[in-house]
Formats: sequence, C-alpha cells, structure tokens
Amino acid sequence: MPFTIAEKILARAAGQAGLTAGDDIQVKPDFVHAYDFPGYTDVIFKTMKEEFGIDQIPEPERYAIFIDHMVPAIDPKEELLHAGTREWCADNNVALFERKGIGHQVASEVGYAVPGSFLVHFDGHISQMGAFGMLAVGLRRHLLEAFVRETITFQVPATTRVNLTGKLQPGVMARDVFHHVVRTIGPRSCNFQVLEFGGDGMMNFTIADRQTLCGLAMFTGAITAIVNPDEMTLAYTGPLACLELDPVCSDDDAEFAAVHDIDISDLAPIVVVPPNPSNTEDLTDHLGLEVHTGYLGSCASGRLEDLRAAAQVLKGRKIKEGFALHVIPTSNVIMARAAEEGLITILADAGAFISSSSCDYCFGRIATMSAGQRAVSTGTLNVRGRMGSPDSEIYICNAAAVAAAALEGKIADPRDYFDGPGDTQ
Amino acid sequence: MLKNLKGRVAFIFDEEDFDVDQIVGVKNIKLRDIDEMAAVAMQSYDPDFAKNVQAGDLLVGNVNFGYGHPHYPPLKAMRHLGIAGIVAESFSPGYWRGEVANGFPQVACPGIMEFVDRWDQIEVDWQGGVVRNLTKGAERPFDPLSKGDLDMISAGGLEGFIKNKIQQEKKAQS
Repeated sequence: MPFTIAEKILARAAGQAGLTAGDDIQVKPDFVHAYDFPGYTDVIFKTMKEEFGIDQIPEPERYAIFIDHMVPAIDPKEELLHAGTREWCADNNVALFERKGIGHQVASEVGYAVPGSFLVHFDGHISQMGAFGMLAVGLRRHLLEAFVRETITFQVPATTRVNLTGKLQPGVMARDVFHHVVRTIGPRSCNFQVLEFGGDGMMNFTIADRQTLCGLAMFTGAITAIVNPDEMTLAYTGPLACLELDPVCSDDDAEFAAVHDIDISDLAPIVVVPPNPSNTEDLTDHLGLEVHTGYLGSCASGRLEDLRAAAQVLKGRKIKEGFALHVIPTSNVIMARAAEEGLITILADAGAFISSSSCDYCFGRIATMSAGQRAVSTGTLNVRGRMGSPDSEIYICNAAAVAAAALEGKIADPRDYFDGPGDTQ
Repeated sequence: MLKNLKGRVAFIFDEEDFDVDQIVGVKNIKLRDIDEMAAVAMQSYDPDFAKNVQAGDLLVGNVNFGYGHPHYPPLKAMRHLGIAGIVAESFSPGYWRGEVANGFPQVACPGIMEFVDRWDQIEVDWQGGVVRNLTKGAERPFDPLSKGDLDMISAGGLEGFIKNKIQQEKKAQS
C-alpha cells in the first residue's frame, strides 16, 4: 500500500505500521523543541513540577531549548525569564542554545536536521525543518503533553502536494514562490494538512530556499510542510545528524488530498499587502509606494541566499537618506559566513544597520514602528501591529526587493539590479 | 461525556478568514485585565453586545474562522461575557488548536451560515453529531472531531486531558 512521507514518519515514530490520514494515534516525538517565552516555557516548567510532579525530565537528549526571543533583554523581567530557563536546562540536562541565532535555523546547524524524524515545538514556523525531509509540527500549548508524557495524542494528517517546475528568473526568490503558492492554492487550501513540495523544480532550490518554502506553511492552513529528502538533503544532514534514521519519501502513487502543479519560470516578484498574510499581489502593481523602513531577516529569510541577493542590489550604492534598513542574519553561523564572503562589508558600506541574530525585529519588540510608518520586510507576518503601532504597515517581499526599496525609498523592482541568470547564487 | 450546548446565536461573523483579534481590536490585544477586555470586546461590531448577551449563548462564524495570528484574550473576553461555544463553517488550524487546549467547545458545521439567523436558539448535539436549529426546527451534521480534540474539550482543556491520560495508563498497567 502506498503512503505519504508524513504517514511513514508517523508510523515509524508511533511504532504502528500502515497508518493513514485520519488515524488517531499516540506517537513519540524524536525531538521536542521550544524557545523560552512567557506563557509557554515558564508555564510548562511550572506545570510539570506542580501539576505533574516531574522533577527530572526523562530522556533529556530528546529535548532542546533555544533563547532567541528577547535577545538581548531590555528589562529585568526578561533576563529573569532567561535565567529561569538556563536553570531548568541545567537541572534537567537539557541542551540549551542561547544567542546562537533563531532557534529554527540553529536546530538545523547543530544536528537536529534528521530526515525521517518527528519533531514538535509550540511555534508553527518550526515547519521549516521539513526542508530536511522531517515532520516538524508546531503544537501551540499542546506541547505540554510532550513534556509530561512520552507520547502525544495526534491525528495523522492528510497531505496536499505542490509540484514546482521551472527555474526562477534573477531577482525572484524562494520567498516569492511561497507567497505565489498561497495565491494559487489559497490560504485555507491545506487546513489541518501537510503541505508537501516536490517536482523537478525542487533541484533548483538550495537548502536555505527550501527552509524558506517550508517555514511559512501555516499561511496555507497547513500544520507543516515537507520536502522529500534527496542527495542535496543527505549531503547536508549526513555529517551533522544527531540521530540515525532511515530517510523516507512519499510513494509515487501515495494518496494526496490534492495535487497542484505550479510553473515558476515566469514568476515575477510578489508583495504581500497588509494586513493579511494571504493578500499576495505582483510587486510591479505597487511600484513607487513610499516606504520608510526595511527589515531583512527572520526565520523565513535572512540566510546567505538572502544576504547575497541584498548585497547584489546594494553593492557600491547607498541607501536613501533617512531610510532605516535593518539586516539581521538568521544565525551566528550565517553572520560569520556572510562576513567571510564580504557581504557584511557591502551591506555596511551601503548604510545598512546590521545586528546579531534575534527574533525581536520580526514582532516589533525592537525597531518598533510608529503610526503612519510603512515597512518592506522579509519577516514572517504582516498583520496590524506586528512590528509596532497598529497604524503602521508591513509589505512583505523578497530580500532583494527590500534592498531595492532601501535604495529608492519606495517599492522598487529588484530585477533592475540583476543583469542575468545566476546572479543570485 | 460532554453536555450539549444550547443557546442563542449571539452574533454571526459573516467575514471569511475572520481574524479573532478584531473582536477586541489590535490596539487592545495586550490588555490583561479581563473586565477591561470584556469592556472593549465587540465595540466595532455591536456596541450593545455585552448588554444583550447571556450565559450559554453561542457564536457563529464563516469559513476558516480564526485565520491570521490569533491571540487568546479575545475569546477569553467572550467567555467572560457568557459565550459557551462557537459553530463555524470551518476553522483555521492554529486558532482551533489553541482554543481546544483551553477546553472551549467548537464545531465545524458546513452550511451553518445559511442555516441560522441571529438570536435563533441552537443546540450542538455531541452524541447525534448535529447542530440543531430549535427556532426553525431543522438540523445539520457537524464535522466529526478527532478523538484527541473531543477528549480534550470533554476534560475542560489540556491539563485535565493529560491527567486523564496518565490515569488511564496507570490503570492499564495495574
């Protein structure tokens, strides 16, 4: 009987062969991740002890905690939260990754990218680990169950398959592809399902591109996204993986809830117009719109591919006087690579404000916008008030488009800064 | 066993992909005081809502109710005002999961928008798997909930649900 990759991963993790969509199961996650955040980790730690009498977590190697929000702390309460997290991790022998970058990216750098594995977190953007052929699901508060029991209660999800064909034009990026997928199949097309990416076009997407594609799955209603592992995946994960599992792939004749074929050869840059993550339009329809600030970073974008694209646009040029361009590489490793490649020099020379990795720009905790300000952003979300005042606006676009807008102080076509194919690589 | 929900339709959100943060307004989303939240709830939809709503009333929503980046305060405010559950055409997964963890009863009932008017008396019959319009004398099936979700709502939320699980496991072992 044919199965999807999601069904196969869950069958292995639940120790129950032949699972199909709709089955109610008890399943043991291979990895349980969380970042420290008030209302989540502090509540989980307290509840474990006070309600469930757990003083020491069993199998601590399955758990990892990340400190990437409220970094650096701006008030003593935040630092106290971090201190509590550090103490809990030390007491429980649980791995803690602090100030290494955005956790969802760091996880892939330190060995949790394991094809065939099942990972749970509370945050939905963990779906980006699906880039490595693993099932990574954001459970919100249900994550508590993974801290107090060995297994969690779960229903095997159906899968919608999106086959991508073709190769992107210069100045058009994986970020555009994801939003184009939302535009094509709809913001609720994958409700409660897994969004699986495949097709010949996948070979043209780097690991980072795939992380971008998978990280925003929630805006199709999907509980996660996944790419079937190929040689590129295994070349990346092989030397790092902290767990040995057999990679699995969807069978050719697996049963999908829906299959969509999307050709990306002629795709033009997009913009996601506020205040809704499904308002995807062509960027060319908004050329000339005045913007005041730009954010290049987040768990969805802010990797080397994004920094290279921005550098391509900004090299030898100066950003517009008064425009605030914030560039935040997704992790320290990426920052170091970008420095080696000379990208940081190019961005700094152009006038970018470059910071160490943190989640805080994405939700307006720092670089907070005031009423009437408008941003171009590679952040995850454009709902009202996400990056400051409810009366500020966020236009989501690719990294090259953020850079182009920074030069001109208005929404501009990044393709004008790319001469020919291959320049983004 | 869950007790059937029975109440008036206190409001119908006819907007598709409805962002629940709009219930209190984005600028009020960080309020923590339940009375303050309840005081601002529904102001832009029906300023007299708090005056007219009564304990046990229900809400009705359109397709993909809860889309966006849902926060918990809006529904906390609604429960404070007496709302006992929501029937919608369908729900957005992140929102659904969050409220199930709170033990808040909700069902997806395709066709509900055409099936009720505001202030109709309706009933969610868990056993029968239907939503009944008592005012109009008709009923429609709702989408079956996963076992986990149903158990969690029955247990009054996440913690009670997990405690039940652990107890069952202990019983099975002994």
